[in-house]
Amino acid sequence: MKTAAVLITAIVAQAFGDVCLTKGMKAIAALDSSGAGFSESISRVSHIALQAIQSPMVWAGTLLLIVFFVLFSAALSWADLSFVLPATAFGYVLNVAAGYYFLSELVSNTRWAGAVIITLGVLFVSRSGQRTVETPRGKLPLPGVAE
Amino acid sequence: MIIALLIALVVLGGSAGDVFITKGMKQLGEISTLNVARLASILGRALTNRYFLIGVVFMAISYFSFLGALRRADLSLVLPATSISFVITTIGARFFLKENISAMRWAGILLVCIGVALISIPSQP
Repeated sequence: MKTAAVLITAIVAQAFGDVCLTKGMKAIAALDSSGAGFSESISRVSHIALQAIQSPMVWAGTLLLIVFFVLFSAALSWADLSFVLPATAFGYVLNVAAGYYFLSELVSNTRWAGAVIITLGVLFVSRSGQRTVETPRGKLPLPGVAE
Repeated sequence: MIIALLIALVVLGGSAGDVFITKGMKQLGEISTLNVARLASILGRALTNRYFLIGVVFMAISYFSFLGALRRADLSLVLPATSISFVITTIGARFFLKENISAMRWAGILLVCIGVALISIPSQP
């Protein structure tokens, strides 16, 4: 229950964080007329960094991703990485939905199908127990027993 | 080409970062308090844990590569293309963290990868 609450909050923060970052960085790229070449001069890179630091969208996105990271790390203090990471893949489903609603990205039937398969995969992983190694302060639960 | 390179950095940095951060957090032990003072003390111990800090450095490499990739391509392409990190991180968890990956868990992880691969097919206008 604790794991579910922490991970769901983390996933929602990550999805909105990604949307904010994309909006912010795309706005900066749109102002930059010279295109995305490999030979970026130091002055141009620092110019972009300066704009990114001044963008509220980039700040909001970064803060939301920090929230995600703190909750993700907290979950890793008691649950397996091979459980927590695929569980957060549900964020991809939210990202497709968020890209569709907030960034006006086109979403094909194939990609909606991908979202359904990811959801199925996350359900499988959530049925596989959340801890298989003993931690200093946590005893190994019985296999497959949800906490 | 530069997008492929940036995505490779996103994946490898992210997987190495996840493994190191998990190692650090497992050393701290299970967090089971909402007491602010105790949470602050845990945060302090995390920020001075060697494995955790190495993990954060790898995460930073991954993050800045991700920002660079987002300037050149859509979020809905960049994000799914990093899906291979689920397999690489799971292999890392198996060998470096000694996690026991059951058939059920592998099935779920593979379904996640297939789903993410499908999502990565760009929409035709």
